[in-house]
Amino acid sequence: MAYPEYWNPKTETLPREELQALQLHKLRRMCEWAYAKSPFHKRRFEAAGFHPDQLQRLDDIRRIPLMTREEWMEAQIDNPLFGDLLATDQTNAIRYHLTSGTSGRTPIRVLDSMKDWDWISEMWAYGFWAFGVRPTDTVYFAFGYGSFIGFWGAHYCCEKLGALVIPGGAQTTEARIKQIIEMGATTVCSTPTYALHMWQKAQELGIDIVKEGRVNKLILSGEPAGSIPAVKRQLEEAWGARVGDTAGMTEVGTIMIFECSHQPGGTHIIEDHFLEEVLHPQTGEPVGYGELGERVVTSFGRGFIPAIRYRSKDMVVRVPASTCTCGRTWDIYEGGIRGRWDDMKLIRGTNVYPRAVEAIIREYASIDEFQIYLWRKDNLQDEITIRLELKPGHEGEWEQLRQQLGKDLANAHEGLRFNLELMEYGTLPHFELKARRLIDARPVAQY
Amino acid sequence: MQQKDLLNKPLSEAEQELLETYEALKKLAARSDLPPCATCNVRKALASMWQVTNDLHLQFEQLYDYGV
Repeated sequence: MAYPEYWNPKTETLPREELQALQLHKLRRMCEWAYAKSPFHKRRFEAAGFHPDQLQRLDDIRRIPLMTREEWMEAQIDNPLFGDLLATDQTNAIRYHLTSGTSGRTPIRVLDSMKDWDWISEMWAYGFWAFGVRPTDTVYFAFGYGSFIGFWGAHYCCEKLGALVIPGGAQTTEARIKQIIEMGATTVCSTPTYALHMWQKAQELGIDIVKEGRVNKLILSGEPAGSIPAVKRQLEEAWGARVGDTAGMTEVGTIMIFECSHQPGGTHIIEDHFLEEVLHPQTGEPVGYGELGERVVTSFGRGFIPAIRYRSKDMVVRVPASTCTCGRTWDIYEGGIRGRWDDMKLIRGTNVYPRAVEAIIREYASIDEFQIYLWRKDNLQDEITIRLELKPGHEGEWEQLRQQLGKDLANAHEGLRFNLELMEYGTLPHFELKARRLIDARPVAQY
Repeated sequence: MQQKDLLNKPLSEAEQELLETYEALKKLAARSDLPPCATCNVRKALASMWQVTNDLHLQFEQLYDYGV
């Protein structure tokens, strides 16, 4: 059966001036909604002298104050659990997810209604359809299915489009590989790091994934590596499959960008559901096509917690839609997400803020100094090791401390495993002024 | 009944029908005399039809008053 190329041809090929008119309409409506219903947004809009009536042209978006993760977290701390961000009653929610916070143990918490949750899967459907997933596919999710939003929306997207879904939840890597082969999965979804790990494990088990399996598509998310040419080539060769990148964030609940089957070396922006700006991270001024800047997202989807001009801290290079031959009129982030301009690190798909790690470590009075060491195991898997020095005389507490601190760090980071290493006293650098306790020893991505 | 989409373009026959279905589901979701099996499944159907009509830019509104 021949399927159409686009999930939604009406908007995916909409001329740009009409697309912008649609964005303006949605922007105005979303701001009116947020102003009327979310005390957080009303307060911020009023403080900035902004009212939704001022939105006459798309450029007027610059009148809206930028929203930051820090403000979101402060609002949650002032008024637990969700701050004053909610635009409707909590009883309308059917779904709760979280992502690790920028400081200490407080996560960013989100709620979705039935309509919002379905919209989340709808955004994944744009991306999966564009990369060639069809009802005839068998889609395997190598994903933990926990509080972290991860591939949840993609799972429901595949059910929606009629594919056979295999939720590879809490299993060993070996069991997952065997299931992928046994069930003849045609599409595998994971982080880039884990896709490499699965391939390596298959080799150890004497399984030839290319010969014994039927995988022809790998869909990646959670780390920027899906758009790094060297990683992509390595994965495509290893799996004998095409590799497609996507990127999303818990703050909007879903993906904003996806790679289509034409593989233009970047990811299309879902522009009928998001308004993405690229700004200079320090001046806040818009940067042009081809220039590196920070992506700022306005979502037209989740109304429960509106995300309006939210600073993502992701660095991107925007290029025109015509860079791709697929016919979509949606612009592209060349090379996907290029990195971060703040200090957040991505470890196996989980956000890690060094200051949040430090806040937890500092709760332990027996710890004198520490260092966060990021490295890549066997050139495949990202690891985070906390090197610790105990105060003299406290060495006997190490075993208990190791267990408890390991638990505390994992609990604040969606279960992420931290390696803890006891260092001899005086080995780590001690700082008097500006401390540099983070070492990122992972290879630098080449675009 | 609405005749144009959000960009002020006339609706196709199929779009008209989709929009009518969406509005009919809204009416059903607002009723208080339905058993849970009807209420809950109508809400789910309404959430789905919101995606269709929103994707085709026939409407852009929130549905929390319907519990959706």
